[in-house]
Amino acid sequence: MVDKIKVNNLCCFYGGKEVISSLNINVVKNEILSIIGPSNSGKTSFLRTLNRMNDMNVNFSRKGNIFLDDENIFDMNPENLRKRVGMLFAMPIPLPMSIYDNISYAPKRLGIASNRNMDEVVEKSLRDSSLWDEVKDRLNSSAIKLSGGQQQRLCIARILAIEPEVILFDEPCSGLDPISTAKVEEAMLKLKEKYTIVLVTNNVKQASRVGTRTAFFLMGELVEIDNTAKLFVSPRDKRTGDYITGRFG
Amino acid sequence: MNFKLNPKLSQKIAYAVLFLSTILVIIPVLIIVFNIVKNGYSAISWEFLTTMPKDGMRAGGILPAILGTLSIVLCAIMITLPVGVCAAIYLNEYAKDNLLTRIIKLAIVNLAGVPSVVYGLFGLGIFVMLLGCGVSIIAGALTLSIMELPVIITTARGALNSVPYAFREASWSLGVSRWQTIRHIVLPNALPGIMTGAILSIARISGETAPILFTAAAFYVPHLPKSMFDQVMALPYHLYIISTQIPNMPKNIIFGTALVLLMLVLSMSLIAIVARIYFRKIRKW
Ligand SMILES: Nc1ncnc2c1ncn2[C@@H]1O[C@H](COP(=O)(O)OP(=O)(O)OP(=O)(O)O)[C@@H](O)[C@H]1O
Ligand SMILES: [Mg+2]
Repeated sequence: MVDKIKVNNLCCFYGGKEVISSLNINVVKNEILSIIGPSNSGKTSFLRTLNRMNDMNVNFSRKGNIFLDDENIFDMNPENLRKRVGMLFAMPIPLPMSIYDNISYAPKRLGIASNRNMDEVVEKSLRDSSLWDEVKDRLNSSAIKLSGGQQQRLCIARILAIEPEVILFDEPCSGLDPISTAKVEEAMLKLKEKYTIVLVTNNVKQASRVGTRTAFFLMGELVEIDNTAKLFVSPRDKRTGDYITGRFG
Repeated sequence: MNFKLNPKLSQKIAYAVLFLSTILVIIPVLIIVFNIVKNGYSAISWEFLTTMPKDGMRAGGILPAILGTLSIVLCAIMITLPVGVCAAIYLNEYAKDNLLTRIIKLAIVNLAGVPSVVYGLFGLGIFVMLLGCGVSIIAGALTLSIMELPVIITTARGALNSVPYAFREASWSLGVSRWQTIRHIVLPNALPGIMTGAILSIARISGETAPILFTAAAFYVPHLPKSMFDQVMALPYHLYIISTQIPNMPKNIIFGTALVLLMLVLSMSLIAIVARIYFRKIRKW
């Protein structure tokens, strides 16, 4: 078991208010780490710190360090970091262009694929996100016209096209129906073989379905982290048990 | 006495007051347009638009004034648009909220409030005299471009702001740099708004007289403009001259000139409105 990400004593603040307090956590290579916890427990803040999207927020500050393959991410160029740590937002955000262009956009900008093999990159990304069959006949139509679930898988494909090492999912299914949710989960399980995944979810059942390990966050603190089966069957902390059985939060 | 209006009646009165106020807005517009068209249409002809003035400007056409105005205005927009858009991008996409930024924003607001004749004097002092441009197209264009800069910056910022922040985040999260995000996501989607703003600016500065009075406009030039450093005739100034400085001026030529200027401005606004409707229709989000 190799640690892909190691977090050392991370504290995060928005305008002086602490939202994550001395967090120590690791993410193992090729696992799906599910993070569950009630609203405002700092899950999104944690993800946005992992790929430094919070750098754009002037109110944000942090202490502590995060290592990606033993390299401190705060010493890295943020754009190079985000190329390696992709992020999927809760709401699907297709860019206002065609399906094809949505996927080729980042590889083109980053100089990853030449125009010659762009078709291959697009097809492979769409296949890996289980969207290919539904859109292969209309790659040039607007991405905005896709359904919510399709848009979310398109956003996954867009990340796969830049071949990151880690993918962060922030409640990727919160707006989706059960069938679309199942498709996104299926895509995630397939991706685990190649990528390391951190999945934040409000849906405890989803964590138990796809998570290799599960972490429980509460009020900016990591209460407990364990193998998913173990955490759900015999949580060590009473608060974890209360949360997963729906007794609070 | 307990006097209370019945709610239905008060509703009717409120409606009537609001409606009449609105009508009051369009009445002057109608009267002005009607008056100008009625008195001026007889002067309009192909010859009027395409020939030089004759007979001490009492006959012939107004071609030099039309070309003069067009060259000053187009020159001005070509200067002010790139500068204004760059400034808007900096303020909107890069600037941190610090003292410098606040001073810049304050300067822009104040620049917009300066009377246009002050710009004219400023242009005379800086461009005509200090920089030695002389009274010329370029001096007038520079003066107008500075006057229009705050408007361009403000409309361009509005257009940039109308592009959802989420698009930027989506782009950044893929490792795409800030500049590339601006270049490939923000600008293309803001361009329609920026362009309609620019067209409206052209319309606005076409009618300005004071800023070009000391910097570009001439009473009469017997030939068409040949270079950027030529003095030119300009429609608004020409209109002022023929209506006040020349005795026995035929009335229909005065109103005909006003009509041409009005048409120029109105057609620009119309183009901007149509473009805005069109872009709103094809907008993808
Ligand atoms: N951009 C921001 N500016 C200021 N405060 C913020 C910002 N984003 C989050 N917060 C605060 O940080 C705390 C943690 O929020 P966060 O979004 O990380 O929670 P979460 O666990 O993702 O919740 P949810 O399940 O509702 O998405 C909250 O108190 C929130 O108000
Ligand atoms: Mg969240």
